[in-house]
Amino acid sequence: MTFANIGSHGGDGLDEYAGDVWFGKLDARAKLVGIFTFVVISAVLTNMELVLISLTVALALLVASRLPLTHIAKMYMAAVPFILFASVSVFLFSGWERGIEMWMRTSACVLPLLVLAAGTETFDLFAGLRRLRVPAVITTLLMLTQRYILLLSEELSRMTTARRARGFKGARNLTDRYGLKVLAFTAGMVLVRSFQRADDIYEGLKCKGFDKEMTPWRRSSIAINDVLLATGLAAVAAVLLTVQLGVIA
Amino acid sequence: MHIPDGLMAPVVSLIGWIEFLVVFAAILLLSGKKIKEKNLPRVAILSAGIFVAQMLNFPIGGGTTGHLVGGALFAMICGPAIAIIGMTVVLLVQGLMFGDGGITALGLNAINMAIIAPLIGWGVYSLLNGLSAKKTVPGKAVKGIIVGAAAWASVFVAAAACAGELAVSYAVSSGTFGIAATVAVPAMLGVHAIIGVGEALISAGVMLYLWSVSPGSITTIDKRAKALPGWKGVLSGTTARAVTAILIVFALTLPLYFLYASQGRDGLEKTMQDAGTAGEKPLISTPFSYGQNYFSALFAGILGFLAVALGAAGILRLARMRTTRETGP
Repeated sequence: MTFANIGSHGGDGLDEYAGDVWFGKLDARAKLVGIFTFVVISAVLTNMELVLISLTVALALLVASRLPLTHIAKMYMAAVPFILFASVSVFLFSGWERGIEMWMRTSACVLPLLVLAAGTETFDLFAGLRRLRVPAVITTLLMLTQRYILLLSEELSRMTTARRARGFKGARNLTDRYGLKVLAFTAGMVLVRSFQRADDIYEGLKCKGFDKEMTPWRRSSIAINDVLLATGLAAVAAVLLTVQLGVIA
Repeated sequence: MHIPDGLMAPVVSLIGWIEFLVVFAAILLLSGKKIKEKNLPRVAILSAGIFVAQMLNFPIGGGTTGHLVGGALFAMICGPAIAIIGMTVVLLVQGLMFGDGGITALGLNAINMAIIAPLIGWGVYSLLNGLSAKKTVPGKAVKGIIVGAAAWASVFVAAAACAGELAVSYAVSSGTFGIAATVAVPAMLGVHAIIGVGEALISAGVMLYLWSVSPGSITTIDKRAKALPGWKGVLSGTTARAVTAILIVFALTLPLYFLYASQGRDGLEKTMQDAGTAGEKPLISTPFSYGQNYFSALFAGILGFLAVALGAAGILRLARMRTTRETGP
């Protein structure tokens, strides 16, 4: 499904919508802390009313973020098979109420993450993680991987065009020996080209002063809006948790 | 196979996170040299390569398509340690850039796709390589079959682990989270047995392509030609390490098993009770018991996990000593 996401964008349009909306301009740290807290708490709720409240908050966040709903819906479809499988089986075994609860709970967790992914520039997201003290080896790998993914997916789309020009339409089924061979060789070719690029890119990075860690060039400071978002989401999460645990009847 | 948040029972997700952090930290410590500055771009580009290769869809019948998981392929190209780190990066990218997977479920997703899949893929690949070791290097067909078997096993075992996690979640939360074993196990295994065939065919194709076009890019040292024949070959260093990889996967499943076992009688106990043989005094009583509630079970599970991990580390050490002796003067 990731294919569909990249494929549906033009150019490097991964961050197509992040720059346009107010949500995209917030500090990544605040968004990460607020949304992660909310999602973690939403994932453990078992009370139907509380799950409904968390889903409402998630939908409110989605609408308020002003991100295009069709775009989010397309991303949401990637998670649907699993959610559907789980909800239907729970529905069959434990009744319709539990099935709907499962659907609402998983959606309440998935939607905020989609808003975060679509409404934040990828670089800001990784830089935010670094500023939140995530080990440098991980954030540097993430930043490098993101850069290479854009490069290699262009390479793959060029190869797809070339295959299509020769009349190849994809393998028909698992017994289509020729079709699968073409797909395997395409994947192999992507890897070979990536190995060749790796050393060149390393040399390039060294020339630009790369020293184990990608240093974020952009500066970001926490403003009042960021604090409001993070504390708002965390407060909702805290209330939901206390009610769930029975502290407040 | 990306599990979303809110599907698994909190305690199962927590175990997943603990196991993931322990394994990931151990890998970072053990392979510190491999992940040095010069190798960072290489690991990143391999992750990107696997991520992009995952975009290639193949048909699995009935109008549906599957795609490569790539864990086994990654491990066969550059060894299990780098594969675990690289696959974790792939999962993080998928989660953060596309919202695939989740936060609480990241531990379990990483266990299934970034740890179990590469370890099983690499383990099976090394074991079969050891078994097929003869004086002559095996032909293309044999190589392809070995790679295919490893790739299929990696997907199948990862799916089985995922099904197990769903079933345990269901059992410990009395149906609030997870999916009942009677649905989860056949559905996950059935679908992934077929997806595994696609994975096997594509992985075999990719490896054969790499062997013929760019053999230098496969950094796992191919010791086939040097390996000893027969059982001596099986007991050589690579094989012992492959067994270790599979033992680690086994150890990872232990805490969940004990958690599950503590929730009710297991199949054997139930059969014994039905047959009226339950309640007899056991022949041997063990110093440890996995307890009556799930905290003591969790404790016993973690103890078991550590015991198997230590055993595995011991084998690894023996294997290293053996290798040193072989290469010594």
